[in-house]
Amino acid sequence: MAGKRMTRKGARGFFWILPSFLGVLAFYLAPYADVVRRSFFGAVNGQFAGLENYRTVFGNPAFLLAVKNTLRFTLVCIPLLVAAALACAVLLFRSKYGGVIKSAFLMPMALPAVSVALMWRMLFHPNGLLNQWLSHLGVAGCDWMNTKYAFWVLVASYVWKNLGYDIVLWMAGLSGISESIYEAARVDGAGEWQCFVKITLPNLKPSFYTITVLSFLNSFKVFREAYLVAGDYPNESIYMMQHLFNNWFREFSFDKMAAAAVSESVVLLALILLLQKAWDGAGEEEKKLARKSRKTGGSGGRLGVKRRGKK
Amino acid sequence: MKRLPLRKIAALLLAAALAAGSAAGCGAGSGGGAEGTESGAEGTENGAEGQKVGADGTENGRDAADGGEQAMGRFMEEEAALPCEMGEIYDIRKLDDGTVRLIGSDGNGAKSAWDSADGGASWEKAYDFPEELFGKDQGYVGYAALSADGRAACAFNDTADGKLHAVFYLLDAGGKAGRIPFELPGGSENMALGICFLGNGQLCVKDAEGAVYQVDVSDGSVKQKHEFDSSQESLACYAAGEKLLIQTGSEVLVYDAGSGEQLGKEEALQKAMSESGRFYAVDSIDGGESAYFLSKGGLYHYAFGGSVAEQLADGSLNSLGSPSCYPISLVMLGEREFLVAANDSSFGTATGVVLLRYTYSADTPAKPDKELRVYSLYESKEMRQAITHFQKDRADVYVNYETALSEENGVTLSDALKTLTTEIMAGKGPDVLILDGMPVQSYIEKGILEDLSGLIPEGDYFDRILSAYQGEDGKICAAPARFSIPMAQAASGTYAEGESFLEFTAQAGVLSGLDPRETVEKFWYGSGASWKKEDGTLDEAKVREFLENLKNAYGEYEGGGEESGNEAEEEEAGDRALRISRGGYSLASGKAKANAGLFYGDGDYDFLLAVNQMIGDGQLGLIPGQAERVFVPLMVLGISSQSAQKEIAGQFVSYMFSKEAQGFSQGGGLPVEKEAFRDSNDGHEYGGLEELVMVSGVDEDARVSYAMRPRTEEEMKWLTDLAESLETPALCDGVIQDVVAEEGEKALKGECSVDEAVNAILQKTSLYLAE
Repeated sequence: MAGKRMTRKGARGFFWILPSFLGVLAFYLAPYADVVRRSFFGAVNGQFAGLENYRTVFGNPAFLLAVKNTLRFTLVCIPLLVAAALACAVLLFRSKYGGVIKSAFLMPMALPAVSVALMWRMLFHPNGLLNQWLSHLGVAGCDWMNTKYAFWVLVASYVWKNLGYDIVLWMAGLSGISESIYEAARVDGAGEWQCFVKITLPNLKPSFYTITVLSFLNSFKVFREAYLVAGDYPNESIYMMQHLFNNWFREFSFDKMAAAAVSESVVLLALILLLQKAWDGAGEEEKKLARKSRKTGGSGGRLGVKRRGKK
Repeated sequence: MKRLPLRKIAALLLAAALAAGSAAGCGAGSGGGAEGTESGAEGTENGAEGQKVGADGTENGRDAADGGEQAMGRFMEEEAALPCEMGEIYDIRKLDDGTVRLIGSDGNGAKSAWDSADGGASWEKAYDFPEELFGKDQGYVGYAALSADGRAACAFNDTADGKLHAVFYLLDAGGKAGRIPFELPGGSENMALGICFLGNGQLCVKDAEGAVYQVDVSDGSVKQKHEFDSSQESLACYAAGEKLLIQTGSEVLVYDAGSGEQLGKEEALQKAMSESGRFYAVDSIDGGESAYFLSKGGLYHYAFGGSVAEQLADGSLNSLGSPSCYPISLVMLGEREFLVAANDSSFGTATGVVLLRYTYSADTPAKPDKELRVYSLYESKEMRQAITHFQKDRADVYVNYETALSEENGVTLSDALKTLTTEIMAGKGPDVLILDGMPVQSYIEKGILEDLSGLIPEGDYFDRILSAYQGEDGKICAAPARFSIPMAQAASGTYAEGESFLEFTAQAGVLSGLDPRETVEKFWYGSGASWKKEDGTLDEAKVREFLENLKNAYGEYEGGGEESGNEAEEEEAGDRALRISRGGYSLASGKAKANAGLFYGDGDYDFLLAVNQMIGDGQLGLIPGQAERVFVPLMVLGISSQSAQKEIAGQFVSYMFSKEAQGFSQGGGLPVEKEAFRDSNDGHEYGGLEELVMVSGVDEDARVSYAMRPRTEEEMKWLTDLAESLETPALCDGVIQDVVAEEGEKALKGECSVDEAVNAILQKTSLYLAE
């Protein structure tokens, strides 16, 4: 009887997720399957090409440059953003004006990409505001968006735009940490730094996973600003995967696009799985610590804070 | 438990309502055409048969395509007979007694009135204008107009004493002439720029100062005067019975002819004008209760005070929408037939004057049941003209011509190409592509384009130009229907025909004073084809050689830059701004040492030869470039491999290479068909006419005047041999061209060094070429 009930319950559950699953199937899985299929066929003639498209893509200097730039951008931006947002979040969390300032940090997200791009142009044009300010200081300016500085302008723009969002996420994570843990640690003689390292950081691990994945996905959106400011062919330091896809689409290179998209999705999936595994591992470790803490009968053991003096 | 069925019933009812709402929405969508045909709602009923005469079938036709009933009825065009070979038609009108009267001049300038009792099928001369008043020695007729009772009024520009005096004559129905005692203010500084008879017999005169006068022809008294300030200048005046229509640059103002008072703002009339462009001619058959008017959109009918101007004849389906057609006068013979006197060079008459008859055919579908989509990035007048003629021969085909880029829509080239890609891959793309500005080679490699080899009709073409895009497999997937030639011109000491790029550019400062960006672009056309290496990258040495030598020839940038064109030249889009004739003024006036640019024909040859004469020992030839014998392919035609109308698309492309279509000349390039090439450059239209002198240019110190005459055999042989010798298609790649122009301009202006410019070009193009 119990098994029968489970089956009925399972069936009911399946029907609940069916609409959502159909949506995912129709709008994600099926198109993705079509992209995988196209990666083995010609662009317009539909002739089977085997692995030729993949060979072409991996031998394409523009693709390799775009991959290099995208990786570089990700490796520079994500740690920078996550760390800066965490620092700001911790400071704001302790401030009584944190709520108001947090909203101010969200303002860049509300700005349309076109406005941001126009602002960029005004700032970084050879005859723009930045060069004017620099000239007042006696420093020679340059054509920022057509030099290697374009990359750092893009990094700054990305961090500026996404900082508020990540701060909010970090603060949500911070508010989930019970104050009693800190109190117990302070009673045990833990300092601020120790509390941060031994209590705050470990408890923020679940948030860390979410924030990293979201920041990673948001990093792809920076293309809009780059495209609006520098067009189809920007300085080679900010030539990203999306530039390449955009230009390939214009010229009917669907075969190359499909092969590159499949390759990219495999790498992305691997990265996300890796992060998830790290998160799961962290979860397991946390559970072990919790069990150990229950045995030792105190939060200090759980958190690894050494008790001092009281035995 | 009892509530549950109620909830279920409510849920079912809500679901049913939602489904019904959706279905109704879809229904409304598919019936949108019916709603859209608001013109039809007030259509002109045709009495006994009760059929609506209207071009609203353009909407209904779409319904038909969707499976609904096909709307029938359309005005069909045919060329009507003229009394003789007319040099000019002043006016044509249906008189009160039903006679159609025409006044105009024949090829020798003799002015007469002709009558037709059978609606313009045959003509009899009514009278000649008195020679003693209208002779060539006295002056010329600027404008003339007919009244419904057969009288004619003439605005005669008297030049007997060497000064221009506007004199007005009235000719009665029999041709007896007398002077109207009316003079325009301003004396010889003023003249009439349009006249028409109002329904009350008054003559309406629009002068050069923008004022419109209502004149009593019996005593010359001014009954009403309508003045406009400089911000709202009057463009034309038309009569519709008792109403006077004055068209300004932005609106149509309607006045009561009797009181002179302006009537209420006719919103629907304004809307029609804003949508279909300015009016060319107006007529009325009900004393002014309503008006028929012609614009590029076709024939419209508007009942004054109404809410909509009904389109009766769609200009895109006949000559009325052709860029070469300029209607002079409209005569409504009834609700189902009308005549249009027009200037239209595409009909092949010696003077371009034609009389067109439009008859309503109830058996013809309102809109052709087959649609051919032609897509182009840029507007082409030749294409519009060819479409008009193609449709006349194929009444079952509607050619939908779309241009993606215009100043109004603000679409970028990249966005337009991406939209095109989406449409083609969705199977909803155009059938015929004009590939100018598109990545032609990429499209050919991807299999987007069909082979055109069998579609180009037998004929005498410039073969090397025609086969500019022929692949190694012999397939011609894209073929230019037109081309231009990068050319240079200077005094013999500065430039010699056949001179190399290095020899020419070794003369320091030979290009000084010219616009730096345009200079780079013009010489790039002659050089770019030699830059690409076999591996697809750009040859750095060639790029460096190009910029270094061009910089030497340009010399020091002194700011400003000489306008290559004349101030009076209208702004020309794209590469036409680079046409060589625009730089002729500077060369002729001595402001520049050399002139270079693209040779498009259409009067360029006359002009350049005149400039050669002005500078004494002028030389004209191919531009000295790094590539040899370069031409620029234009109007490159291709058929989409995803087209659902390949047969009609093939017929259309075939037509584009026919002698008729090749003969259309609106400044869009030289035809690839040799006979048409000759016809468009030999000045045959001036043969047998009195010598005309063209004075070109507004700036007094940069004017070029020359006689319009047929070109000699020697001159034509030189030009034909030059075209025959062309063998290298220019590198028509917008991305590379933009980068080269941008960086080259900086180098010529001295904003960066040649090295920096070369590096920037190579860096920016390397990404593009690597893709």
